[in-house]
Amino acid sequence: MTNKFELSIISAESKVFEGKVENILVPGMVGDFLVLSNHAPCISSIRPGFLEFSEETSDKQRYFVSGGIIEVINNVVSVLVDSAVAGDKIVKEDITNLISEVNDRLSAADTINKDDLGLRKNDLEEALKQA
Amino acid sequence: MPSLKDLKIRIDSVKSTRKITKAMQMVAAAKLRKAQESAERGRPYAEKMRDIVSNLASSVKNIAGDNKFLGDGGDCKKFLLIVATAERGLCGGFNSSIVKLAKSRIAELTSQNKEVKILTIGKKGREQLNREFESLFIGHVNLSNEKNITIDTARKISMDIISRFEDGEYEVAEIFYNKFASVISQIPSSYRLLPVSFNEKESDASNLSFNFEPDEDEILNEIIPKSIATSIFSVLQENAASEQGSRMAAMDNATRNAGEMIDKLTIDFNRSRQAAITNELIEIISGAEAL
Repeated sequence: MTNKFELSIISAESKVFEGKVENILVPGMVGDFLVLSNHAPCISSIRPGFLEFSEETSDKQRYFVSGGIIEVINNVVSVLVDSAVAGDKIVKEDITNLISEVNDRLSAADTINKDDLGLRKNDLEEALKQA
Repeated sequence: MPSLKDLKIRIDSVKSTRKITKAMQMVAAAKLRKAQESAERGRPYAEKMRDIVSNLASSVKNIAGDNKFLGDGGDCKKFLLIVATAERGLCGGFNSSIVKLAKSRIAELTSQNKEVKILTIGKKGREQLNREFESLFIGHVNLSNEKNITIDTARKISMDIISRFEDGEYEVAEIFYNKFASVISQIPSSYRLLPVSFNEKESDASNLSFNFEPDEDEILNEIIPKSIATSIFSVLQENAASEQGSRMAAMDNATRNAGEMIDKLTIDFNRSRQAAITNELIEIISGAEAL
């Protein structure tokens, strides 16, 4: 028997997903990581990319998120996302639009923000390949 | 005594006013429901955001990080007042109650020799404050093109506020809005947006030690702009709900007043018609008697 834990994915305007899942793969700011049940408490920021989790072992669900924060406490995982789109509904143009938006800001930004935005652009382009 | 024709015209005009106020009341009721629903949908995110920030805070306190966004706003000199009002009038005391609160705060701060700056959200607040404090204005956000408030709007406002904070334009930011208590009661309120202070909140997670990725300071720098955007978003949503509630109550009142006015005018109308008839009869009778 596999252990499940509670996952809720919340965006500022609505609840995206709520339910029990076995695992979730998170595109963390420092690197991807997998959360299973009984994971140690942690808070991490998320870079743009795909969240992957499965309610049953077989079927995987994918959501594209444009960044956010994850909190893990006592088998309750909350993901606060800026925006989320279900994997099967994702349109490549959406990501392309995001990239061009970042590009616009990149040309306007000062040097300090440039590094951050540049990283963000790489993440988005990576996600575009996976979509 | 106005003539019968004048009375008739007045009754008609009050009747059409009543129709308009009645319609506005019903529109406000429908919009209120929508605004409340969207405020409800946004609540889980805001609550979770608060949780995470307070969890983060309890850990940061231990390492005594000196983050630029944190502080208690003790001896700051430069204040920014963000006054959030509606784009439209005809909603009772909604706008003026916020402006009144903001004005009393401005008076208090200037008497303490603090520097005050004003940023308004919504046209009505700007119009009222502009008369007295034009020189203090540093910005205005126009919401007239936004049918529904989105998080993107809130993010844009918060980005503007944060970049002004980083440029040292002000040290403390306070936001003024109407809190939605119920459909008939809205409370003008204010609270401090920046710097963020952590009041000791007892959370069940406070004795857990979290793993942070990346470190606390970087997460704070990432999460605080987000939490400010969320605060502004919920302020705008509360404001939108309050505005509609307030308008509904005001229009309900107006409709009732119009009804009373119509009754009164109708009685006047009937009386003067009867008076005219009686007058005519007397004339006829006294004419016949004279023969």
